[in-house]
Amino acid sequence: MDDLLAEFVAETREMLAALAGEIVAWESNPADRARLDTIFRFVHTVKGNCGFFDFPQLESLSHAAEDALADVRAGRRQPDSRLVDAVLAVIDRVGVMIAEIERGEPLSEDADDALIAALSGALDETEQAIASVSGSGIQRSATPAAEQRTIRLPVELIDQVMSGVSEMVLARNDLARRMQGLGADTGLEAPFSRLSGLIAEVRDAITRTRMRRIEGLFATFPRLVRDLSTELGKQVFVELENGEVELDREMIELIRDPLLHIIRNAVDHGIEAPADRLAAGKREAGMLTISARQSGNTIHIGIMDDGRGIDVERLAAKAIASGTHTAEQIVAMSLEERIELIYEAGLSTAESVTSISGRGVGMDVVRANIEKFGGTLEIESLPGEGTRFLICVPLTLSILPSLTVETGGQTFAVPRSYVEEIVSTAGGQLQFAQVGERRYVTFRDRRLACVSLGDALGIGDDAEASLFVILRLGWGDLYAMAVDRIFDHHELVIKPLSPGIMQSGLFVGCTQLDDGTPVLVLDVAAIGYGAGIPRELHRPSTIAAHAAPRNEREGLRVILFRALDGERRAIAMSAVEQVERADVSAVRRPGADAQIVLGEEILPLAGVSEGCELPQRITVLRLGDGGQRIAYAAREVIDIGTLTGVLRRVNGQASVVGVTMVDGETAELVDCHALFSSHASQSSGHGLLTCRLDGDDAWMRNFLGPIIEAAGYRIVPEGPADIAFLDGDLRDDGECEARKAIRLRDAPGSGGGADGIYRYDRAGLMAALLRAGEELAA
Amino acid sequence: MIDMLLVVVLAGRRAVLPAIEVNSVIEVTEVTPVPRAAAHVAGLAALRSRPLTLIDCAASLGGGRERSDPRTCRAVVVEHGGHLYGLLVEAADDIVAARAEPGSLGADPGPGWSRVATGRVETEAGALPFLDIGALIAGPDESLAA
Repeated sequence: MDDLLAEFVAETREMLAALAGEIVAWESNPADRARLDTIFRFVHTVKGNCGFFDFPQLESLSHAAEDALADVRAGRRQPDSRLVDAVLAVIDRVGVMIAEIERGEPLSEDADDALIAALSGALDETEQAIASVSGSGIQRSATPAAEQRTIRLPVELIDQVMSGVSEMVLARNDLARRMQGLGADTGLEAPFSRLSGLIAEVRDAITRTRMRRIEGLFATFPRLVRDLSTELGKQVFVELENGEVELDREMIELIRDPLLHIIRNAVDHGIEAPADRLAAGKREAGMLTISARQSGNTIHIGIMDDGRGIDVERLAAKAIASGTHTAEQIVAMSLEERIELIYEAGLSTAESVTSISGRGVGMDVVRANIEKFGGTLEIESLPGEGTRFLICVPLTLSILPSLTVETGGQTFAVPRSYVEEIVSTAGGQLQFAQVGERRYVTFRDRRLACVSLGDALGIGDDAEASLFVILRLGWGDLYAMAVDRIFDHHELVIKPLSPGIMQSGLFVGCTQLDDGTPVLVLDVAAIGYGAGIPRELHRPSTIAAHAAPRNEREGLRVILFRALDGERRAIAMSAVEQVERADVSAVRRPGADAQIVLGEEILPLAGVSEGCELPQRITVLRLGDGGQRIAYAAREVIDIGTLTGVLRRVNGQASVVGVTMVDGETAELVDCHALFSSHASQSSGHGLLTCRLDGDDAWMRNFLGPIIEAAGYRIVPEGPADIAFLDGDLRDDGECEARKAIRLRDAPGSGGGADGIYRYDRAGLMAALLRAGEELAA
Repeated sequence: MIDMLLVVVLAGRRAVLPAIEVNSVIEVTEVTPVPRAAAHVAGLAALRSRPLTLIDCAASLGGGRERSDPRTCRAVVVEHGGHLYGLLVEAADDIVAARAEPGSLGADPGPGWSRVATGRVETEAGALPFLDIGALIAGPDESLAA
């Protein structure tokens, strides 16, 4: 079950349990205002939640109860015993529905309408409705609802358990040492190893409760970038790196908004339009790299684009214009300092305010928000080359996979996420070069600068060391760290260090080995940069050059989905503009010529075969080839993947290119070309239908006209037409000379019906238009 | 009113710490040195599963006093700013009651002392300097103040 849905079920159950006592009290005294308020809040919350989750039955039921209770609260209605009974029946029914939702069953068709009628005061139906619900109550006790499987806990409690488990690990290790002293055959080995196993399990479990992979957050970015870039007419390729990094779930929530803001900025202001990129000698599609690395109690999140870079000159000019800095001050500034101007409140390099970014929330606010929870934000930018943002956020409690190394007789831990490889001269294949005092080692055709850990820490000189840890810093810069020995990989719990020790900037935290010895965790970035490794902006152009040989994953990016007929299909991701859910009622003429109303558009709908049974809710992939748009119906989206396997042709299947393997299962690749060629004619088919706009001329012509034309109808100024739009004020005097009329009215209100459609209800207009066209065609 | 005070011996002189601030007094066996740390940071030890930053109080007094050997010292465990510290002192044995609130330090108690002691307090064991835990942890270099 979906996390959110599980939360909803848990929350509702919790409220139901808490409500049980209130209900009894209210029943004995219906005039009790406090109880009434509690019950009202409950149905109100349920109503709000199920609107979000799309349970129309549950929503209408709780809505009816809310209305009835609101009347009581407002004194418009007396809480008589019938109403009390009906409300209680509703609450029981909500309980039954929640149990059904939890079991993943469809909501049972029950006497909900009768219950709603009972609530609204239709007396005669009350008895029957309530009786039917009590009937289902008996049914429920026959098949007991699944036990509640989630609970919510305060984070402090988990912290407490976590530290208790850490102590247990140390106690176990102590015990292990003492047992070694006792010699073999103490008879304790078996229970001890069992104990060890159990402790490890508990530790894993409790750790997982707090941690969540950052992947969950990252997974939403490609879609966001895709939508943004489509809207802006840009092409952006998103590359995500190291989504395995785990982060405290609270921290994930905290970094979400700043990240979104930076990504929006990067797509909107950073990456240029395709034509500008080509003119600048870049690839048409921009590249946005989002990476996460863990280093002790810090997570480094990088967002890098290969766009135009921050326009430092304009920034400087604006700073001077706004009077925050004088021209002399600006001249004296370094490039870095000028980039920092972006943090000045109210400065932005954007020429115009767009809907995507530049709503007045500046980088100053983003930085302030990151700093509020102890993080930092750094920006580096090169005009014409790109911009990179580096967000560092603390991670107070974290399990860090690390490599332990020794230098100068002391053990240190290196976060494994930085470790690219370990190389040693023992293999005999290392080449060195000496440039002044700096030694370089050749690693995969690159000369990497060597940094002696002993030198960096001032605890010994291993200039002639033969063992190197190749480290990859946040932005792809590599260097080789010389160490004396390499021990092992560990999963270590990182503890924060006191400020006095953090001062040196060489460490990010401290951890304990199994015997309880504290070990410092190295800040390999600070050590590298501190030893003079240049901070190179890794130019996207060089990435592209390197990408070709190394990137064997480069295949067609596809969205995997389950089609309505149950087949697993894949479709090129570049063709998919949007994925949304739609109600089956939006589909017209199921079959080969099916159409669907999506928001304000009518699109040909593919993926629906003749006579096929449609589920109540379908997933719709909105496809586009740049001009044409087609909707593709599916049951669900499974995943996003890359096609790497061989594509096999299937005979007799016109709509698919072939079959291939994705993640060990077969998937049919949808033939987008065939799709668009067969549906393209359909969408222009409405050109035959003519449309006349009567009434308030300017509004009709200027507001309504263009969208009607865009939908594929031809506007005729006067005379006979297939469809006529009538202003609500015009009397239908039978002179409209049209086969179908659609009446508009000026005020919004309930339903379309006889008095027409509200003139700004665009979706309603489109649906009416489609219906009219359909009836004409029939 | 500060009631109970822990008497410690620091650079051969007695001084007091507020007993309420003290978690425990331990003997340190294993010390992990911290490279490139300030001179008065003696290293890291572990108190069960929490790291303990060891502060060489004699070095913290400054004035070129020799670094003490953690293994011969007692560590007074205190929590400061959310972190655990072990204040290394030569001895920490007695708990005494204060007879009055700490007053002013009076005459200059000598190099370093005027910085780490906030005042003078009358106790059952006589008048003793009242130590400031934050100043001890910060050490002679004021820029490290936590």
